[in-house]
Amino acid sequence: MNETFPIKTGVAQKVWQNFDRELIYKLRPLPKAEQQDIRLEILSHLYDSALNDNADSEEIRLINAIARLGDPDDYLQPLVAEILLMQKAIKGHPLAITKSLFINAQKGLINALLTLLLGIGYFWIVMIFLMAVMHFGDADIGLWFYDSGDFALSFEAQPGAVQWQPKWFSVIGLAVSISGYYLLNTLLSKLLLKSKT
Amino acid sequence: MGSDKIIERWVPQFRKGLLEFIILLKLQQGAIYGYELAIEIKKLTSIEVAEGTLYPLLNRLKRDGLVTTEWQTAEVGTPRKYYKITTLGLETLTKMKTVWTNTHSSILNMVMQS
Repeated sequence: MNETFPIKTGVAQKVWQNFDRELIYKLRPLPKAEQQDIRLEILSHLYDSALNDNADSEEIRLINAIARLGDPDDYLQPLVAEILLMQKAIKGHPLAITKSLFINAQKGLINALLTLLLGIGYFWIVMIFLMAVMHFGDADIGLWFYDSGDFALSFEAQPGAVQWQPKWFSVIGLAVSISGYYLLNTLLSKLLLKSKT
Repeated sequence: MGSDKIIERWVPQFRKGLLEFIILLKLQQGAIYGYELAIEIKKLTSIEVAEGTLYPLLNRLKRDGLVTTEWQTAEVGTPRKYYKITTLGLETLTKMKTVWTNTHSSILNMVMQS
């Protein structure tokens, strides 16, 4: 870093290193690439700012520049929180998904409708997953077809209806719910990326 | 609380609310990096905000697709991340300008009548 940002005096180097350590510590929840990007941008700002400061000594110029940036918590926390929330939602973290759905629903009518559709999708994915797991213990749980062509996802045997794939319901249900979960997460992350605040 | 104190509290809030609009206005004139943007905003608007608080805003503009970024490393000097307004950013800025003009006119009318 010293070659990129040449700091001459020993005291100024200490100030720089302390600030850099604080940046590294506060950015550690983020993936490496994001950490590096934000850290380099803040350090670049700091260096430019110190370079244009009028104080006589290099360390005072740096301290002034750090002060002008403000409290690192004020600008790093919102950055970290926003990036983490999006990444967790993309990775399928249930709490992050819930929070993202909630945030996204507040961004206008179209986003609210899309979020509602995604929410319904997540509801059915969870239902199918639970039914697929419960089917291992109760064979009557599954998808039932009537002669009329209607069908029902049911927790009990349906009179006058034939159960669809009773042997394979659990496997198919798990496969559908897991792949559906990832598909919905992908759609949610795309929606988050496109939506306006 | 005296009126001066209230104004002291109100002015920064009022100005901070306009920052995204101001950033996009500045970016419309060309690509710019964070430090330069902070200096320009201070110079043009006298808005006294901690320079670091621009970065969460810039990140949000980027996430919303209103700006793109590119690192540029000059032969001499520090590497800098340049922000550039996108087509969506220009489109949004046009709408922001309309909102601003309408709001400004309405408020000006109210001020003149008061």
